[in-house]
Amino acid sequence: MPPLVSILLLAAGVDVSFERDVISILTTKGCNSSGCHGSPAGQAGFKLSLYGSDPAADHTVVSRRIDLKNADNSLILRKPSFAAPHGGGHILTKSADEYRVIQQWIEQGGKRNASGPRIVSIEITPREQILSAPGAAANVTVTGRLSDGTTRDMTREVRYAVNDEAVVTVDATGAVKAKGRGLTTVLARGMGRTATAQFIVLDGAAASVSQRAPTNFIDREVFAKLREVRIEPYPLSGDDAFRRRVYLDAIGVLPTTEELAHNGLASARPSGEQLARLGPCRSGLCAPAEAAAPLDRAKLIDELLNRDEYTSHWLVKFEDWFRNSQYYSQGRTNASYKRWLAEMIRADRPYDEAAREMITATGDTTVHPAGNFWHPAIDFMLKTFEVSKATPTVTRLFLGQRIECAECHNHPLENLTQDDFYGMAAFLGRTKVKHGYAQYRRVWYNTREGEVLHPVSKQPVAPKFLDGTTPAVNAERRDALAEWITRTQKMQFARATVNRIWAEYFGAGIVEPADDFRSTNMASHPALLDQLAQAFIDGGFRFKPIHRLILNSQTYQASARAPGRANGGDPLERVLLARYEPRKLPAEVLLDAVGQVTGVPQTFGNYPEGTTAKDLVASIGSTYFLTTFGHPRRDIMEPRSQAPSLAQALHLMNADAMREKIGSPKNVLAELLEKTLDDRAGLDALYRRAYSRAPSEKEWRAAENFVGAEKEAGRSRRRAFENVLWAILNSKEFQLNQ
Amino acid sequence: MTRRREFLQIAGIGLPQLLSAADSAVAKNCIIFFLEGGPCQHDSFDPKPEQTADIRGGFKTIPTAVPGVHFSELLPRCAQSFKKFSVIRSVYSKEAIHEKAKQYIFSGSRPNNAFKHPVIGSVVAKEFGPRAGLPPFVCIPKKDISADAGFLGAAYDPFITGDPARKDFKVQDLALPAGVSLEESAARARLLAGMDDEIRAAEKSKLVEGMDHFYQKAFDLVTSPAARKAFDLEQEPAKLRDSYGRNAAGQGALLARRLIENGVRLAAVFQGGYDSHIRNDEASKKTFPVFDQAFAALLGDLDDRGLLASTLVLAIGEFGRTPHINHSAGRDHWPGVFSIAAAGAGVPGGQVIGSSDAQGGAPKDRPVSIEGLGATIYKKLGIDYHKEYRTNGRPVRINSDGAPVRELFG
Repeated sequence: MPPLVSILLLAAGVDVSFERDVISILTTKGCNSSGCHGSPAGQAGFKLSLYGSDPAADHTVVSRRIDLKNADNSLILRKPSFAAPHGGGHILTKSADEYRVIQQWIEQGGKRNASGPRIVSIEITPREQILSAPGAAANVTVTGRLSDGTTRDMTREVRYAVNDEAVVTVDATGAVKAKGRGLTTVLARGMGRTATAQFIVLDGAAASVSQRAPTNFIDREVFAKLREVRIEPYPLSGDDAFRRRVYLDAIGVLPTTEELAHNGLASARPSGEQLARLGPCRSGLCAPAEAAAPLDRAKLIDELLNRDEYTSHWLVKFEDWFRNSQYYSQGRTNASYKRWLAEMIRADRPYDEAAREMITATGDTTVHPAGNFWHPAIDFMLKTFEVSKATPTVTRLFLGQRIECAECHNHPLENLTQDDFYGMAAFLGRTKVKHGYAQYRRVWYNTREGEVLHPVSKQPVAPKFLDGTTPAVNAERRDALAEWITRTQKMQFARATVNRIWAEYFGAGIVEPADDFRSTNMASHPALLDQLAQAFIDGGFRFKPIHRLILNSQTYQASARAPGRANGGDPLERVLLARYEPRKLPAEVLLDAVGQVTGVPQTFGNYPEGTTAKDLVASIGSTYFLTTFGHPRRDIMEPRSQAPSLAQALHLMNADAMREKIGSPKNVLAELLEKTLDDRAGLDALYRRAYSRAPSEKEWRAAENFVGAEKEAGRSRRRAFENVLWAILNSKEFQLNQ
Repeated sequence: MTRRREFLQIAGIGLPQLLSAADSAVAKNCIIFFLEGGPCQHDSFDPKPEQTADIRGGFKTIPTAVPGVHFSELLPRCAQSFKKFSVIRSVYSKEAIHEKAKQYIFSGSRPNNAFKHPVIGSVVAKEFGPRAGLPPFVCIPKKDISADAGFLGAAYDPFITGDPARKDFKVQDLALPAGVSLEESAARARLLAGMDDEIRAAEKSKLVEGMDHFYQKAFDLVTSPAARKAFDLEQEPAKLRDSYGRNAAGQGALLARRLIENGVRLAAVFQGGYDSHIRNDEASKKTFPVFDQAFAALLGDLDDRGLLASTLVLAIGEFGRTPHINHSAGRDHWPGVFSIAAAGAGVPGGQVIGSSDAQGGAPKDRPVSIEGLGATIYKKLGIDYHKEYRTNGRPVRINSDGAPVRELFG
């Protein structure tokens, strides 16, 4: 471990370099962090570049704050040493090495010697490390790569941050200490560059892990990683649990009672009449009479992926991603865009082709719906196309890269500058929109001239891709952009796309957030992601093969819970996919499921009978239920909220709309109670409808006792069953997919 | 998280300084009276009587309780009560579209393309949590698309009451459905608890914990007589209800008072109708008198109950209106300058802060930014507004670059 640079400098009395030494101090002390002078607006009139990304600019502003005749009188020293009031507090004492280095730099003339080699990147090693138990120690080394090809140890010149300090902590010397079981990233920032390393902390118990034969490469990668950290994958889910899960995840509906029977859920229940004859069950007759044949999971998966509900379910997700919102199109072309996306999903159209059609779209969006893709970039009031909104949308949707930060400042976590942002924006500089027919009709077209101006230099910016290449001079710009994304960058295009699908099935992407790929955001299973992306490319950019791979894997089919396991209490198990992570049903799926279980489907204003929540066209002004349970406005690109809330609980408990469905004389109970005199048969049917399984003997008894007590309390059989239905709809098992 | 510690380190603020910041929190509650659509500064707190009619508009001025200060004649009760509140005549915004301007002033942070900032009420909900079983952040009467928790997530969204002026007023989903007794409700709740037992015992994820938590809170709300009473305006004497005005805004203001009295921390009352692009005078004649009555009654009522000292009350809109009257006798959106009123929690009364230029189009002195207003509210409530949240790894300060309006701190 090298001693502090500053100490070396002071001892030798050598020249202090602004770039190497002064900026290092501004970085390690946090002066140029985003919370202080590194914020886009600076702080108290003093603005530094974020983590020293722009040494020239930093030198200009720092030079205004130095006193060459009396270094101690320099504002740059008086402020942090509290000789002058400083909003940021007392950062340096006059005897601190850092103070003396800056002092020495001022005494040497306060120059910026810009001629030397500069840092082009920094690396942190090791990139991945497993620590065996809390308390274990390790060190990271940060190496700067210079423009002349040499390297420099920068371990003590960077600022460290840890994503999750409950897992490890790191001090200013790069010493890492394990705190608790889990996985986290250590981030080092310096000279405007960033690097990350991943740390896994175990709790010391070296359990043995059994070998399990993988179904496909997904399992191979996931099991290998689990073995490395000695975590046993959860056992495979049972058929009942899997059946309900895969219906909800793949097509967004519950299996009907008939489908359950067809798919092997034992339905050997005596009929009501038989039961009435037999009397109350004491003999176990009412338990499933025979073991059901094991479910053919692969066959079921194939069936589901070919159903219409597959399209309507995934359509909602695509609409979220592409922000098909009344907010942007004033309701006039939501429907045509929805139909266009639906057809893409139904036909499993090659996604690269669909993406190219959207990116290059021209014409009237009522006739050419792909152009709706651009609508979220129209300024609502001014009716103009905003390049600054459209640019990050394109990269984020198709490449999983968020460049919106760079619209205003250089990206703090990625080596991405404002110039890069505007180079990409320039591809859209000749895209225009015309409003007709009371401003609701929109026509997209390209002009032959028009340039995007750089916000600082006010000069036109030439189109340049994020990888630094430039398009052919005469190429229509959006054509070139579409080519670059779907062909040149096809691996990243594929990664970003399959990662979104993955996130829908597992609640988190292999890269998480699912649309935030960057060198500083490490994938949990990089090799798995690459193989999945390659499979997507090899399959002609079609979605269904990817769904099939995921759904058939043991990783997807793992249980949510197992006896003696952490069952959600271990962050490592979650990140490394040891189990299936239970999730709340999305708003539309839940509302449709309430309709399915009660037998009273939700109606939606003027929409025809049979319309499901997933079929609704307008996304604002939809029902209170949907917005309360997380249906997004689609006004900004944020994943929909899956958080539980008070309003959700109150709504399911008390809402008039729920009461109407539970109490409706035409609901499931009417038929059920008429058909059977036996309470058990009724309870059995409700459990099947809501949970896709038969109740256990214990559950039967509990519900039966409840119905008995209700009758004793003077309530009718019907009313007692309404209360059972209420409890089922409010239960966690109903609201979760697990 | 690391950020807080890191921030403290950077800022060099030790614990004692933080404690003194918390001590200076004079506001235990906050009520925001929101005049939706953009209230006209000329027709309210910043009249321009010396201007020609196309700027002045159709209203006269009246003296207030403070000699030399005049309001529009549409605000007689506010004028009389001016000793109870301060007016800022030099607030400016940078957004001229309703949704964005509202999001700006609700959050104190300018909307951007990268993420959606939580509004002040959501931050209050996150920082302080519920009190006495009531939701911390309530909007009356409706959900506003610009007033939500943004990246903090739906858990910190406001609780919505519905219109308290309606005869059949009932807070959505709060009461047990008609015909369900407490006894029956308890019985089926026990059945539900039994059904959830297995998952609750085995599952250790935050999600299930969170669902459980909110169900518990929901049961508390539904079954606690005190909590339900807080929403029940029938508990108020008819005379007091009359004094607020028997309309959505008046009864909303009264409900806000009841709610903060019983545990809600921030209540926002919305009154619409200020977007007077056409026939401004007619619109103003309908809207401002309703506000005048409700706001004056609210301040008087809070004062009578000794609550004004601990309750910050603000009357704000998303922007002002154009100084010139347009061809439709209306006024359009004008973020250039507008007025707001503030009272309670140590805000001095009878004070005019800042001024606008002759036409009421730009701040003349003491310009007050939206960020500054946000910082003021946070400081009054004792929230460290330099604190950073994180969204997708990006640090976001609760309030960036705002300086509290020092005149509101007495």
